[in-house]
Amino acid sequence: MFERTKKDDNAIESQDANRNESDKTFGSLRSKVTGRSGDVAVIGSSIQINGDLRGDEDLRIEGDVSGTVKLKNSALTIGKEGRVKADVYARSIAVDGETKGDLYATERITVHVNARVQGNIIAPKVSIEEGAHFKGSIEMDPAAVEKALGKPAAIGIDKPVADTKAAPKTPKTPAKVARTNLNPPAGTA
Amino acid sequence: MSAGSSTAFHAPLYHDLMAGLDANERHIVLDLGTTSTAMLALLGQSRCRVEIADLAHFGGVDRLNSTEPGPALAGAVESLLPNRLSDDAIDLVFCWDLPNYLTLNALSALMVAIGHRARPGALAHALISYADRDMKEYPGHFVPTPDGELINHSAASKTIAAPRYSPEDLGKNMDRFVIDRARLLSNGMQEFLFQLES
Repeated sequence: MFERTKKDDNAIESQDANRNESDKTFGSLRSKVTGRSGDVAVIGSSIQINGDLRGDEDLRIEGDVSGTVKLKNSALTIGKEGRVKADVYARSIAVDGETKGDLYATERITVHVNARVQGNIIAPKVSIEEGAHFKGSIEMDPAAVEKALGKPAAIGIDKPVADTKAAPKTPKTPAKVARTNLNPPAGTA
Repeated sequence: MSAGSSTAFHAPLYHDLMAGLDANERHIVLDLGTTSTAMLALLGQSRCRVEIADLAHFGGVDRLNSTEPGPALAGAVESLLPNRLSDDAIDLVFCWDLPNYLTLNALSALMVAIGHRARPGALAHALISYADRDMKEYPGHFVPTPDGELINHSAASKTIAAPRYSPEDLGKNMDRFVIDRARLLSNGMQEFLFQLES
């Protein structure tokens, strides 16, 4: 599932103090670090990972992850216990826990209620539930999203908007915001 | 009606502002408050990038008010504003009712920093407690309704004294943002639209 890209730089720390030398190979470590929940690999709440996390299957993080997370073709869920301090790349990202870093998704990013997200969000579709706390930028210009995600401009993607079920009405033909629309001087009505 | 009421209210300058967003033009919007799905959906109907500071939740208000004016305060402001994805200048700022919760020194430092990030002619919208002597203990969470009004979803129940900043106070402490229009709302708040001088 994962591969360690920099043998010397990346440290994977577990609270399992009794881990023996053979456990430090990533293949055997995987069984300690991750479990499975249905078809999703899980990083448990007692696990800390520092370094590059890469893979090609869906993943749920309930532990602490710092560094970079790249699951470009897969779905990532950061659970309620999950704390991620990393730039994250995935097909889709759902956040219930805490993240610090930029989030990139080729399909969708969802920030659920009570999640805390600090960083920029770049995805064709973005949903932030009421009660979530977010500090950062959300790019909603399709061309800018495509550029940031490295997609050719010709590829059609859905308009990058928050879920529009409760979208308020907007005027059919909005005029450009410009000084001419705003009539000084100030006064009270 | 209390300024902190959760009843929807009509804010004509906010309404005009949203009506003026050209769906075909790119806009850079800075929201100093807490985001809402409804607000994002509304802004998502045009080619926006939304920068959200959520100053109230991430400790920004207390930090700004407790930092000495000068370089330390300027540094605090920069650290509290969102990291920028690009050098695109800000076109529109939603202050909501945050100015009521900032000292004039903190407000001034904040607007200086925003002025550096904004284009000449950029607009800033704010709701200032005016008629009522009290306001909710914490900044509001203003969410647009489907009817184009605003509703404050703040859960705060206690009230504190409102500074009731005058237009003169604001004029002197919004840096290069000058008052463009103002309206007294039915909920006792004064709605302001500021414009960044070139």
